Amino acid sequence: MRVVIAEDLALLRAGLVALLRENQIEVVAQVEDGPALLRAIAGHKPDLAIVDVRLPPTYSDEGLLAAIEARRRQPELGVLVLSQYVETAYASELIGGDTAGIGYLLKERVGDVRAFLDALHSVAAGGTVLDRQVVSELLAPRGGKREALSGLTARERDVLALMAEGRSNTAIAENLTVTPGAVEKHITNIFAKLDLPACDDDHRRVLAVLAYLRVAH
Amino acid sequence: MHCGRRSIGQARRLDARRETIVRVSERARLSLELPVAPGAVRRRWMPLLAAGLSIGEYARSLVRRLAFLSALLLAAIWALDGQGYFWPAWAWLGLGVLVLIDLGAAWAWRHPPGAVRRVACVWTVVGVAAVILVCTWLLTWLLAGARSFWPTWALLGLATAGSSYSLIALHDRVLVAHGKRALRARIDMLTHTRRQAVDAQAAELRRIERDLHDGAQARLVALTLQLGRAELRCNDQPEVRGLILDAQREAHHAIAELRDLARGIVPPLLADRGLEAAVQSLAARYGLGTSIEAQSRRELVPAVERAAYFVIAEALTNTAKHACAEHSWVQLKDEHHVLAVVVGDDGCGGADPQGSGLAGLRARVEALDGSLRVHSAAGAGTVLEARLPCA
Repeated sequence: MRVVIAEDLALLRAGLVALLRENQIEVVAQVEDGPALLRAIAGHKPDLAIVDVRLPPTYSDEGLLAAIEARRRQPELGVLVLSQYVETAYASELIGGDTAGIGYLLKERVGDVRAFLDALHSVAAGGTVLDRQVVSELLAPRGGKREALSGLTARERDVLALMAEGRSNTAIAENLTVTPGAVEKHITNIFAKLDLPACDDDHRRVLAVLAYLRVAH
Repeated sequence: MHCGRRSIGQARRLDARRETIVRVSERARLSLELPVAPGAVRRRWMPLLAAGLSIGEYARSLVRRLAFLSALLLAAIWALDGQGYFWPAWAWLGLGVLVLIDLGAAWAWRHPPGAVRRVACVWTVVGVAAVILVCTWLLTWLLAGARSFWPTWALLGLATAGSSYSLIALHDRVLVAHGKRALRARIDMLTHTRRQAVDAQAAELRRIERDLHDGAQARLVALTLQLGRAELRCNDQPEVRGLILDAQREAHHAIAELRDLARGIVPPLLADRGLEAAVQSLAARYGLGTSIEAQSRRELVPAVERAAYFVIAEALTNTAKHACAEHSWVQLKDEHHVLAVVVGDDGCGGADPQGSGLAGLRARVEALDGSLRVHSAAGAGTVLEARLPCA
């Protein structure tokens, strides 16, 4: 897997590069701002870009905008956006119409190295990874027009949240200390309750995540 | 109808009488005939007085006409009398002084009663005396040859007397006016410096938030990354791994605390996308089905934007916590130089306007010269309205 990193803080950038290299992931370019990211992507054609939301010169949301632009120019590129904050508004902007190959995580998730590497692979392979904080915000019990998710049991919500974080069935089973068979049963129920069309499982996972965002916005 | 016709008829009769009077007085002026008997004048002029002319106004116009006629008459007598020394000039001076006194008195009477009117009267007297002095000098100079300008000292004396009297009479007023001016200047200055302080505080908070983000938070993230890498390498040493995981958990808590702190200082979405986007995100977070109506397209200064945001955040928090509301709404409106922020719900009402949350909001809004009102009758929902000047 070939990766471009856009991160302005040298300490964190060096840590990320070391982590990826230790795990046999090739870092083809390290950049510090949005325009450099777009140039690097055009030049190296990587599989994945890891982008910090706040980049110079304005330190607001330049990274997010650059990531969206990179996806527009190169739709098959996987983009994992890291942010000090997660906002569901940013998540839906980033995803736009297409959830394939999109990740949006809190920066500190890099500390959970295994899950972070899983997320990288998942996004590079066209999966969708949302931070559990975004997911829990989207899944929190609410009034108003949230009926779409109200039919789910608490355990089904947990499973859905972990799915949205890009976890595999086995990882979900471990996390919830249940058997993989039980997880599969929950997932089948979720798909049925969200009225998702029958197709291959990975695509349905994506659709389940999209269902969150639809009810959120 | 009958009544209307009668009043029209009366008005016509009145007009006819007035025309007669004007014609009569015109004829009197041309023929140099003067109305003499006071009784007759009274009888003849009463209807006109009823139509709106006061006795004072009539008397003044009479004085002016008499003066004008006398001046002409004296000039004619001088011309017929073989000319020579132009004595009517002195009579003209006398008549002019009469008219001047009339005009001066009328001017003085236009001032409000009290010290100001007294001062105006004094200046009328001073003015008339000065005119007499100057004209006397002018006439003696014109009629009998050049002399030195002897009224200088008298004029100076008059001016000094008038000024001294004015100063004494209006002393209090001058002081009060001066005090008011000084007070206004001080209010202006305080308003200005308070605004500067609020803006400076907003900029400083933004800087602190940035420092937290780029400094402590970033270092902690890098720390968790290093700990994660270390953890990967000691799968065979469960004790060490446990320690590393503990350290990582602590680092995560620290990051979360710093994030909450920074979010309380400047919410990131507010800084990046402005008030409307931040409010939409808030509403989505609380899931109250809040409708948002933003009519304001104003560029807001950071301090006003922050205040508006925190008013809405506090109101929505209260709605979510206490109001058991089905609907809530947020309105942002431009009203001249004011941003009006209205947040309402259809819940149970009964919010305490003196509660600590609302008192804190009030302080925040008042620091910007704004005002905060809370309507929250029991059972009738709660509406919170903040008005923030943005001149």
